[in-house]
Amino acid sequence: MNGDVATIGRGTVVRGRITGAANLEILGRVEGEVEVDGDVVLDARGLAAASLSGRRVTIRGAVRGDLVATESIVLEDGARVVGDVRAPRVAIATGALVRGYVQTGDAPAASSTARARPAASAATPRAANVSATASAPRTPPRAAPAPVPSPAARPAPSAPARPVATAIAGSHAAPSSNGSQASQPSQPSQTERTPPRAPSAHAPVHAPAAAPKGPPPPVMPALKKGAKGAMSKKRA
Amino acid sequence: MASTVIGAGITIDGEITSDEDVVVQGTVRGKLTARDGVTVEPGAVVEADVSGGPLTVAGSITGNITSTDRVDLQPGAKVIGNVKAARITISDGAQFKGNVDMDV
Repeated sequence: MNGDVATIGRGTVVRGRITGAANLEILGRVEGEVEVDGDVVLDARGLAAASLSGRRVTIRGAVRGDLVATESIVLEDGARVVGDVRAPRVAIATGALVRGYVQTGDAPAASSTARARPAASAATPRAANVSATASAPRTPPRAAPAPVPSPAARPAPSAPARPVATAIAGSHAAPSSNGSQASQPSQPSQTERTPPRAPSAHAPVHAPAAAPKGPPPPVMPALKKGAKGAMSKKRA
Repeated sequence: MASTVIGAGITIDGEITSDEDVVVQGTVRGKLTARDGVTVEPGAVVEADVSGGPLTVAGSITGNITSTDRVDLQPGAKVIGNVKAARITISDGAQFKGNVDMDV
């Protein structure tokens, strides 16, 4: 009896929301949202256009969406992930592709709360120092500047700098594994690389570095829109 | 064994489409479409229109049922909705409220 295991079979497509207190194994396709208390395993031939949330999330297939785990996330060989990855422990094996923001360490919160958290934590200690009555008028102005660094931190995940770095790391690692089959040495090196990122304090550190590289991408849609408008005007 | 199992602790809100067997032990809301057999086990709750091949029901279904083959309502089954199928059996002890439409 596998009462606490759910399997989405190879020929099955689920559109919508999957919730519950069980382990989930995805061999087919899932679109929408997955939020379970147990483990989530995405098979090598599984596809998920969904945010996946669970205790331990293991990915061998393709995901377009954010991954959140309360314990760990393992991206195994063959995994393709486009989205943010947040968990206390994150392992990215050789051969796994990731495009997105990766956060290890505590506070595996949702992306929205994670962004708000630095501002909130910065504001609360100050508010605590000031007397309770006096702090009421003062907190709003302090809360206002607080978001300023956080938008700066926001572009960092979406900026090309990060994904490119991971892609390069992946491409470097791939030949070495092909050459000598020694994927083991390169794997620890990657996992060693991740812990230093773990403290959330690093997020602002990355932000200024990535900020100068950020601006270029938005140019593309602007061109398209302008071109469309120009076309319609000419026809009219 | 390459079938889809919606385990007892799982709830799916949305649409399930499958080319293979589907076993429901948990909760499904929305729509359940399978090309092959569908089994709704005791304790399962399906609030959805169900269509597929041979359909075995021992749990609860609220919604219309369409089967290209047969529908078996087993003891303990609770079905509220219309059933359209080539063949249907309703066991003693099964609860059923709805229309039956069989190819005559």
